[in-house]
Amino acid sequence: MAELFFLESILNIVGFVVGVVIGSISYIGFRNTGSPTLFRLTVAFFTIGIGFIIMWLGQTLDMITYGAIQPEQWMQTLGIGVQTVGYFFIAFSHTIKSFFPKSSYLRSVGMFPLFLISFMSIANIVRSISFILLVYGAIETIMSYFESRRRTVILVAAGLGALAFGEFLGWYYFVFPQSVLNLISITTKITGLILLFVPVTKVPLTKIKFDENLDDA
Amino acid sequence: MSATYRTHMKIIGDILTTTRDNLPDEHGASITYLIRRANISHGRISKILGTLVSQGLLEQTNSGGACKYRISNVGREFLQAYNTFNKFADSFGLTI
Repeated sequence: MAELFFLESILNIVGFVVGVVIGSISYIGFRNTGSPTLFRLTVAFFTIGIGFIIMWLGQTLDMITYGAIQPEQWMQTLGIGVQTVGYFFIAFSHTIKSFFPKSSYLRSVGMFPLFLISFMSIANIVRSISFILLVYGAIETIMSYFESRRRTVILVAAGLGALAFGEFLGWYYFVFPQSVLNLISITTKITGLILLFVPVTKVPLTKIKFDENLDDA
Repeated sequence: MSATYRTHMKIIGDILTTTRDNLPDEHGASITYLIRRANISHGRISKILGTLVSQGLLEQTNSGGACKYRISNVGREFLQAYNTFNKFADSFGLTI
């Protein structure tokens, strides 16, 4: 169990770093070009990073305070939920136009069941939404690869695919709690995050300068 | 130019690239020349050129009674950033 805690901590910290670095570069790009795509990437990766750090905080504070290996479920659910918002923005960048019901009545009815179920159930629901968004993002990225034939695109698609597979295994872990599935899930997610980081290594950041006059460009 | 859908940013990138790399003479490029190179309508390019000039990305000159456009230093910096982040977004399978 201690190894699991250690591995989960690594996943959450790697996730936070990858999220914040890619989010920062996207933000620099947004500041310099005003591109809405880069703005969506900024929001997506910052929220993914924040989601990971919430999960890490929940786990670590619980470990320090109570010495418990299993973290508070509500904090994990919150972290997963914030990450899902990030995955939604990645999928949204691939032009998902209508994700939420348009009617406010339907929206309110849609929210109602969330108050009737436990945090564990919400975590599972949110994980499945994450999985769908990640699979959608991976498929769209593969489609983009067929147009551009850039090698980094296929690596990002593989990264999103690995994150999706990790989410799927993480969800399946609830069915078989004592199996090694959680370890495989965490390792797969770490691999996915590292693959997402590859495009960052191709950005020649030293050549980019801020220009305050370009804020409204 | 390809016939696929281009975003507003992509059109701006195309116009700036043309005014940097493919100027017909030292005074700059005329609207007709840019329309042909960027493959967009007169009405749309006029609005975009107005914005680019007001933001300081393009310089407007008068040569022989005709308006001509040249890329400014700020425009060159913008284009450099545009090209860099276009590749970055492209790596995520996205269009800037």
